[in-house]
Amino acid sequence: MTRPLIEVRGLRKAFDGTEVLRDVSFTVDEGSVTAVLGPSGSGKSTLLRSLNVLEQPDAGVVRIADASIDFGSFDDLGKAEQKRELAALRARSGMVFQSHHLFPHMTVLQNLTEGPVRVQGRPAGEAEADAHRLLEQVGLADRGSAYPSQLSGGQQQRVGIARALALNPQVVLLDEPTSALDPELVGEVLGVVRDLATRGWTLVIVTHEVRFARDVADQVLFLDGGVIAEQGGPDVLRDPQHERTRQFLSRVLEAR
Amino acid sequence: MHKLRFVLLLLAMAVVAPLALLVGAGPASAADGSGEDRVVRVGTEGTYPPFTFEDPDTGDLTGYDVDVVKAVAQEAGWRLEFATSPFDAIFGSLDSGRIDVVANQITINPEREARYRFSEPYTYSRGVIVTAADDDSITTLADLKGKTTAQSETSNWSQVAKDAGAKVENVEQFSQAATLLAQGRVDAIVNDNIAVLDYLETSGSDEVKIAGYAGDDVGEQALTFRKDAPQLQREADQALETLRADGTLARLSEKYFGTDVSSEASTEIDLQGDRSATTWEVLRSTAGPMLWGAVKGTIPLTVISFVIGLALALVVALGRLSSSRLANVPARVFVSIIRGTPLLAQLFIVYFGLGQIGLKLDPYVAATVAFSLNVAGYAAEIIRGAILSVPRGQFEAATSIGMDRRLTMRRVVLPQAARIAVPPLGNTLLSLIKDTSLAAVVLVPELFRAAVSAASTSFEYLPLYLLAAFYYWVICFLVSLAQEPLERRLGRYVS
Repeated sequence: MTRPLIEVRGLRKAFDGTEVLRDVSFTVDEGSVTAVLGPSGSGKSTLLRSLNVLEQPDAGVVRIADASIDFGSFDDLGKAEQKRELAALRARSGMVFQSHHLFPHMTVLQNLTEGPVRVQGRPAGEAEADAHRLLEQVGLADRGSAYPSQLSGGQQQRVGIARALALNPQVVLLDEPTSALDPELVGEVLGVVRDLATRGWTLVIVTHEVRFARDVADQVLFLDGGVIAEQGGPDVLRDPQHERTRQFLSRVLEAR
Repeated sequence: MHKLRFVLLLLAMAVVAPLALLVGAGPASAADGSGEDRVVRVGTEGTYPPFTFEDPDTGDLTGYDVDVVKAVAQEAGWRLEFATSPFDAIFGSLDSGRIDVVANQITINPEREARYRFSEPYTYSRGVIVTAADDDSITTLADLKGKTTAQSETSNWSQVAKDAGAKVENVEQFSQAATLLAQGRVDAIVNDNIAVLDYLETSGSDEVKIAGYAGDDVGEQALTFRKDAPQLQREADQALETLRADGTLARLSEKYFGTDVSSEASTEIDLQGDRSATTWEVLRSTAGPMLWGAVKGTIPLTVISFVIGLALALVVALGRLSSSRLANVPARVFVSIIRGTPLLAQLFIVYFGLGQIGLKLDPYVAATVAFSLNVAGYAAEIIRGAILSVPRGQFEAATSIGMDRRLTMRRVVLPQAARIAVPPLGNTLLSLIKDTSLAAVVLVPELFRAAVSAASTSFEYLPLYLLAAFYYWVICFLVSLAQEPLERRLGRYVS
């Protein structure tokens, strides 16, 4: 059995004394899609943001491929060492935000090339060629010179996905990528995510789209109260073992 | 679009009109075109009014010396070609034969007489002592002992005053000395009577008077030729004699100095500054210096202080935002001090205060330091606010693509903050433009100083300060015109 791409062990995080993550552990296989579900306040966004350290966990280990950080001892490290470890871990993942957070003062193309050129130091021409290819992949080949404000919400989020891919990460983290969208725009974004899955990208996606998760996910994590309440294949969503999960699912599915 | 063009046209007229007032155009004496048409090349500075300068209206070379040599040429049948050059290069040009004669208030002295050939003098000047109009206690050099005089630092008159036992306050130009004298801050000025007469003529001041002569030496200025040109010199002498006899020289002198300086006898005449210039003449003679003050003082002072101030402000703003107390506290204190104390006090502390503890800054430098710090204090808060207004998600997005703090600031945060900061920073710039007028009090030669100088001798406060205000308005208006396209450019991504 090959080693999983992502390994999370004993993750803890508290905000002002309130524990948001309590001893969370799981693994993610390369090329798989992991859907993280749960009621709001269950800690699923914090979990995702911990993977690229937008939130710094209080304890636990996060490893992505060959980069790992043990947050239990992280504060003991020197500043330079911390910086190096953070940069290494973050370089393994690309992040897609709920409200895209595109750079509004840059064109779509610049949004995609900024990381590769400025951070990874790749030649501008090469990065642009890649960016064009990615834009084509998300169906926005002709919008490279537009500013984000000139795009629809769905298009903006597709650019957000392309920006995350542009760094060529080993895993793409998606934090409720469709929650901020008008219902009629959800489909085009989910379509792009589905496409990523079929192209073999490793995805971790926090979502409320139960049907989407059921269709696309290889692994489902159901988070509740800062712990993984239920975990398994997509079948978990059809036949949850736990009462909490069942209630949540029926609520979500009724609402739709 | 039409409206804009109209405003621009109005503005152009507003700028050009005062320019046109600068100096009355002298009717050029016809110099060329007579009989034999021998070409004589004249060397002159062209930047030394009222002796030799370019008429701001026409661009033609004019002035007392220029008119004199033209008149001589007409008498002698020369055809003139003028060559302007810096004073330092004029004798070299004469030596090397590029010019034939110098008409530039060249004073005859033994060293020059050994090398060159001089015509009869066409200007006679004497050192005079200038005092306040109501002061009769000083009439000779001997009376200057223990008194205070205002002098140009490099002039030989400064030495004359010191030799007479006077204390010397250094000033940059005669009008400044006259202001100090009129205000009773000094007792006297020693200077060349022509410079004094020129001042009295242009300012129309009746607050100061020529009280007596500074010694007995008479300075004589003449056309200067090479030793190997006796013929030209003879012709010039003959011409000058004719011009003196028919009153032409006296007339030219009257035109530029309001009195006759072309004969030796003239230095004996008691020259009282009793002409009073009209409001129009005062404005006309001050519009130029004020414009020059804007170009040389106000604008560079503003630009330099603003650029340095903004750079400082960015540092202070980042300090304010820093979580480290070491950066945070000093930045906070700096902003508090700058915003909580008068700019004038800041300027005085930098100029006079630091001067007292051994750091004597040039007025221009002191003003730049004070204004830069002031801009930094205000702009820092603007920049801080602008940075804080950039959404948190932008920092997170930058972090998620691997940017460190510095890169995030430079590429993501500051470009967005700039759009938000530009309108309030525009206000800061407009304030600064006007605040530079405070530099006048530490003797920086800028726009307002020119107005103050002129007002203190002419008493034309209302028109002069209105004109100054008008100049400031024009500069501010132009700046605010430039702000709009800048805002549009920085905000082009906002739908």
